[in-house]
Amino acid sequence: MISNSNANMRKGSSRLFRPKRILGDKSVPYLFLFPAMLGIFIFKLYPIIEALKESLFAPTFVGAGKKFIGLGNYTTLFLDPQFWNSVKVTLLMNVVINPLQVVLALLLALLLNLRLRGIGIFRSVHYVPIAVSVPIASVIWNVMLNQDQGIINSMLNALGLPQQPFLGSKDQALWSIVGIATWRGVGYWAIFLLAGLQEVPKNLYEAAAIDGANIWQRFRNVTYPLIKRPLIFVIVSDTIINFLMFAPMYLLTRGGPENSTNVLMYESYKSAFVYSDFGRASALVVILLSIVLLVIAAQFRLFKADH
Amino acid sequence: MKKGLSVLAVTLLFVFLLSGCFSNNRNENSQQNVSDGNSGGGTESTEITFLVLDAWAEQAKKVIEAFEAENPDIKVKVEVQPFSQIFEAIEVQMKSGKTSFDVFPVDSPLTTNYAIKGFLAPLDPYFDDSMKTLWLDTALQAGTYNGQLMSAPMNTSSQVLFYNKDLFEQRGVTPPPSDDPSHRWTWEQLVEAAKQLTYDTNDDGTPDIYGFSFDQIDRPYQLLPLGQSLGAEQVISDDGLVSKGYTNSESMVQGSIFYYDLFNTWKVSPKIPQELSRDYFKTGKVAMFLGTTATMHIFKDKINLGVSYHPYFEGKKVVTPTGSWHLGISAYSNKKEAAGKFIQFFSVGKGAEIWLKEYGQIPALKSLLKTLNEQVEPGSIESQVFKIASYEVENTAVLRPRTPGYLEWESILRSAFEDIKNGADPKTALDNAVEIIDKQLVKYKSAVKP
Repeated sequence: MISNSNANMRKGSSRLFRPKRILGDKSVPYLFLFPAMLGIFIFKLYPIIEALKESLFAPTFVGAGKKFIGLGNYTTLFLDPQFWNSVKVTLLMNVVINPLQVVLALLLALLLNLRLRGIGIFRSVHYVPIAVSVPIASVIWNVMLNQDQGIINSMLNALGLPQQPFLGSKDQALWSIVGIATWRGVGYWAIFLLAGLQEVPKNLYEAAAIDGANIWQRFRNVTYPLIKRPLIFVIVSDTIINFLMFAPMYLLTRGGPENSTNVLMYESYKSAFVYSDFGRASALVVILLSIVLLVIAAQFRLFKADH
Repeated sequence: MKKGLSVLAVTLLFVFLLSGCFSNNRNENSQQNVSDGNSGGGTESTEITFLVLDAWAEQAKKVIEAFEAENPDIKVKVEVQPFSQIFEAIEVQMKSGKTSFDVFPVDSPLTTNYAIKGFLAPLDPYFDDSMKTLWLDTALQAGTYNGQLMSAPMNTSSQVLFYNKDLFEQRGVTPPPSDDPSHRWTWEQLVEAAKQLTYDTNDDGTPDIYGFSFDQIDRPYQLLPLGQSLGAEQVISDDGLVSKGYTNSESMVQGSIFYYDLFNTWKVSPKIPQELSRDYFKTGKVAMFLGTTATMHIFKDKINLGVSYHPYFEGKKVVTPTGSWHLGISAYSNKKEAAGKFIQFFSVGKGAEIWLKEYGQIPALKSLLKTLNEQVEPGSIESQVFKIASYEVENTAVLRPRTPGYLEWESILRSAFEDIKNGADPKTALDNAVEIIDKQLVKYKSAVKP
């Protein structure tokens, strides 16, 4: 009796709130998407449109404060060696850091997925760097990498190796930042891949083993195709985060030594808040956004899941 | 009926979402109304917000307490920012067209830059001509733009050479003289002493004690006197729009080579960030330290402190840095009257005296400077420091350059000095810096009168 009345109530309420009765079949999906679309417009598209608009202006410091110069900021940037240096540094860093982080995250996820004694402790420990925010991690590593009295150089000394300048050298600073970002990022991305690995049905591995597949063949033909979706998510998200990386450059090197860590994001920040040139800063952001979109499009093409 | 309820539910969902989007604005507006009401009310107090540096937030509170006691209708709230982020914080807020502060610190050479960008409200309504004559000419000059007073000095500054008497004694090095400015050490003498004072205490092959460190290790404020002592009369063009040929002049390059040698050739200075320089001297890791008078309070109870005059190059000119923090009113403040009253109290009123006592930076008020010179207590380190600094302010001090693009010039030159410290070729670093600086200065052309 009770269950019957509950069923009737559910029936009644589903009829009551069935939106397609009010708006028709076609509008319902849009209705549910509306809040998300509104958020995307306000927080994503509107700032991009504003940046595009701002990139067409230059500051004047008299009267209205800015004047329309069309594509002037872009042409000035394309003739500026400082800009090309930033493009080079940004691309160089991303060519190394993205594959490095994804491969290490995948290896870590495979390790975390093993059924070993004490794996729970290892799973907890690998999570520690993620709990440290990027600015805090930067400050800690800055102290550890100090040229004169940092712990890393003390360890090198103890091993009889020469001291290294790390963040003080134009040849080492970028790679030191890559190291710090990787130390912090790998564990985070590994969690997504671990979730993907745990979704792979065990019977597929058993079937592959019966067919005589070795570890590599099992990874290549079973694991890899089935974790492609989380993998593409990790690759794309990691790429976006690394292209937009800013905090370590701001806190540790301020784009130096000798502009060796002056990525586009930091150059844009300097243009806006040190050089008081929002037009230049916006043009840099638009160019950076275009580069990121191109790279992501290529990644989607390369790693597209077959199913 | 059912349809009506569904429509109502969907409508409520949209209202909820939209109210979420606009609720912040509504709150801000309502807060604005309350504060406007306060500022306009007769008996209610007005609250102004004062942006301060973390380095002197505590000392500023003493001045605020005295101001509030004298002006019970005005309350001063403090907002703190670290030195390393203060300039960006000001830029970010000003660019948003609304500031959380009414009164903010202005590094004196930035007065022109901030005035051009419209960040500052003129201070002339709160300072008559008789008040302006109370300050040192250099301080008044630094706070004036286009004939209007835009920022008022909290103090000025000078640098003295502090040294650790115990380290000198341990190494058997004769300390620099403090009795007579004509006997001051040359940079060459300082380097010789610094070499003897740089040593390894634990035999690990790297020095644990260094001979010398600058306070503001890579800032032009501290480093310009190197080139200026060697003959760099001008470090930027008269209109403040060209740095090429000035900032990288032969004298500036020579000064930068000396700076390079301190870290890379003689290795008598530690390659540390500015934030650590005071800690290094305070904990006995550095024997000599060139810093402002305000740093004395950090060291005097920690080490056996001695003081001497700022060095110069043998046979060349003595040049010392000067200029310091001023106070300005945010152009976006709606409590300018109360803010002006506070700045007046701080800069020419009782606050200036309290500030000198609490912070210990050389005053910009001539009367206070005179008092400092007269109140010499033999044997007191404070007296010695102020005697030396007063002499420098009146005889050897040179202001930083006036340019509408000081923020760009300072920031890019600072990066160049940092690179030189880390081993970059001094001439190349300065040449590259002026190329970038001049590109950034072009945008101010329209703001500079021909």
